[in-house]
Amino acid sequence: MSPPTSPSLDVATPERVSLSLPVAGIGYRCLAYLVDLALLFFFWVLAYFVFTLLVSDVVGFFTGLSGLVRTLMVLGVFATQWVYWTLCEVLMGGQTPGKRLVGIRVVRVDGSPVGVLESAVRNLVRVVDSFPLIYAVGCLSVLLTRQHRRLGDLLAGTLLVREERIDLDKYTATAAPSVALPSADVTARLGSGDVELILSFLARAPWLEPAARTRLGTRLVERYGGLDAQQHATLLAAPGGVESFLRARVQAER
Amino acid sequence: MASSLPAFVARRRPDWESLEALLTRQRAGTLRLEELRTLDVLYRRAAADLAHAQTFHPGTDVHRFLNQLCARAYAAIYQPPRERWAALLAFFRQDFPRTLRAHGAFVAASAGLFLLGILLGAVVVLLEPRGAELLVPENMRDYISRKQLWTDGLLSVTPPGAVASGIATNNLTVTIVTFASGLLLGLGTVFVLLNNGVHLGSVAALCVHEGLGSKLFDFIAAHGPVELSIIVIAGGAGLRVGQTLIDPGELPRGQALMLRGRESVKLVLGCAPFLALIAVVEGFISPGDFFPWWVKTALGLALGALFWGYLLRAGSAGPRAGAEVG
Repeated sequence: MSPPTSPSLDVATPERVSLSLPVAGIGYRCLAYLVDLALLFFFWVLAYFVFTLLVSDVVGFFTGLSGLVRTLMVLGVFATQWVYWTLCEVLMGGQTPGKRLVGIRVVRVDGSPVGVLESAVRNLVRVVDSFPLIYAVGCLSVLLTRQHRRLGDLLAGTLLVREERIDLDKYTATAAPSVALPSADVTARLGSGDVELILSFLARAPWLEPAARTRLGTRLVERYGGLDAQQHATLLAAPGGVESFLRARVQAER
Repeated sequence: MASSLPAFVARRRPDWESLEALLTRQRAGTLRLEELRTLDVLYRRAAADLAHAQTFHPGTDVHRFLNQLCARAYAAIYQPPRERWAALLAFFRQDFPRTLRAHGAFVAASAGLFLLGILLGAVVVLLEPRGAELLVPENMRDYISRKQLWTDGLLSVTPPGAVASGIATNNLTVTIVTFASGLLLGLGTVFVLLNNGVHLGSVAALCVHEGLGSKLFDFIAAHGPVELSIIVIAGGAGLRVGQTLIDPGELPRGQALMLRGRESVKLVLGCAPFLALIAVVEGFISPGDFFPWWVKTALGLALGALFWGYLLRAGSAGPRAGAEVG
């Protein structure tokens, strides 16, 4: 569950439902930028080696280039510096390769996808955001604005939203057939927050430390089980009993 | 009646999954008409589910999942109109020159700042030639003291195609920086304009002082008018942004910035193809002695007149527009 303070983009759709999307903070932005930077860097390393192989001298690389190749190089530098970002964002639905890897996306402040003009604005202003060193202005702006926008985003009216990968399987997973366990006494219904709590424990249990796994499971059983001391003891004694019991408890909610 | 969370998911999940599949195919662009209708129906159902989740299961993963799913569908359904070639043509026929005329005062202010810089640089160097040591970069001073222009070596070392593309990208970068630094309350643009003006003025004055004035004029004549105009236009766009930041008017600052930002960036984007053209002139025609000085001067004047004629006339009377461009 995300903390209530995390900023989000709220959109009122014509269907009279309000969407609220989590906004990507400075960490996601930096990560995506670094991935893009690495990509461009590897592109240039690769281009360098291809060119040197073609011209087949390493030291006299620049003198051996023809006019056409040199022109291409100048244009290439320009493209990687300026055009790359806008081109990717327009063609890939608001994402550069780095943003896609990290799972963030540029959208307008009303939640619609970015067009050419907005993308161009926010990427032209990149030069001011990167001023004077390591994106100092941009980072300050991201830290100080409510929706974590840099100057380019402010001017273009865009922001970055996060895409989470959410697994719905945990809601529909069925309880494994278990040996005679005490069945839950279903007097008190579980709220959706309680269901969510139990399910997120069950989804994470396989990766927990054994001690923590037992401790958390026991506490959940104490809270939601409604069992007497005798049943409680047999449940704890059975291997994997706690988790099967909790799953059965959630399934019983149907 | 609120159903429990697992029951809700189990009941509605097939619909969500088919909506997801349709959205993936929509992005790939392989959707038939009836599938498009299904997408619309499924989106409305998902929106209803989202409303349900908001009310009965807020803060759960299902709620967040539905938020995300609806946002994807919303983005796919309410897309902005695609910019096509016709829009591009209309931009250069009407939109760009009209925007420029609407921002005439800012362009004039920018021109004033630039001229002020030139005058300052020139006066300082003419009155006190040692001031050049402060204002003109060292490698340029070396060239000038050898009675050469730094452009003389340009063509003998590198092929003109590479020179032209190098100049084009360099000028674009200067233009972008001039515009974008307007976001620093306009002070950035003021600084860039004055700085470039002082630089230009001091170099010119030093050349005149050393008796290279005619050679410099020979180099600048063909491309100077248009190139300097474009820097001034970008400066005007930057000043516009700065002015919006200081005085947003009736709107909140953020919204005013968004509105004016789109307008001003049109000025910069509109200049880009002209910068590329003028770079070709600067790379192929300006350096060397292949063209006599009067040809270069005439070309420069003609290009400048065409450029400003286009900016001041095009798109002023509806769709009829002068498409002839320098």
